[in-house]
Amino acid sequence: MTEQYFSRTVDNVGAVYRFAEDLLEAADIHEAVRFPIHLALEELFVNLVTYNTAGSKDILIDVEIHDGGVTVTMTDFEAEDFDVTRSRGVDIEASLAERKPGGLGLHLIQHMVDTLQYEHRDHRSRIRFTKEAQQGDV
Amino acid sequence: MFEIAFGDSGEVICQGRLDAAQSEKAEAFMSELREDRTLDFEQLEYISSAGLAILLKTQKRLSESGAALKIVNVNKHIHDIFRYSGFTAIFEIETK
Repeated sequence: MTEQYFSRTVDNVGAVYRFAEDLLEAADIHEAVRFPIHLALEELFVNLVTYNTAGSKDILIDVEIHDGGVTVTMTDFEAEDFDVTRSRGVDIEASLAERKPGGLGLHLIQHMVDTLQYEHRDHRSRIRFTKEAQQGDV
Repeated sequence: MFEIAFGDSGEVICQGRLDAAQSEKAEAFMSELREDRTLDFEQLEYISSAGLAILLKTQKRLSESGAALKIVNVNKHIHDIFRYSGFTAIFEIETK
């Protein structure tokens, strides 16, 4: 099974990790691909759960493996429009005194995955991201 | 699974995966730190933005009294996250 529904609670990040890790491990996906995939999964799942409190339906996660790379599709069937591909304006060069905790999740995944796509239609959000193996990873 | 505890030399040893579901445990421990501390990430496999927020919050609080965190034995993937987050400029960090 490459897809699974998860109920909307932050406590489920461990279950999301285990679901994906079992598939990635079975396919012998390199750690350089696994790490950003797990990071993006967690950040996006937590984002959907935390900021779309009006939603009640489970979130569908699909993991597709191809030639050492991975494509993940996350579908929220009851979501407000929130474009995860848009820059959040995090100033990573600010001094310690000026930095504010939080807001780094989307910034990180925008830098660490190879592609990140978002669409919102009829109250449904679909996020798709990929991470490909680099030469030497496989 | 995430564990955090003091080591024999007073360093803070972090193990496992510091994700959003484990951040409360980390924050409870880190909020008690009052002086310079070394965080040993030798056995920390993963950290997400939830963990980064705790590190930043602790560093900001300690800096008010002139103290700071130092992070050692950081793996390549976590170091990438620190670099993309700008943490390499506000923490003393040593890689594995």
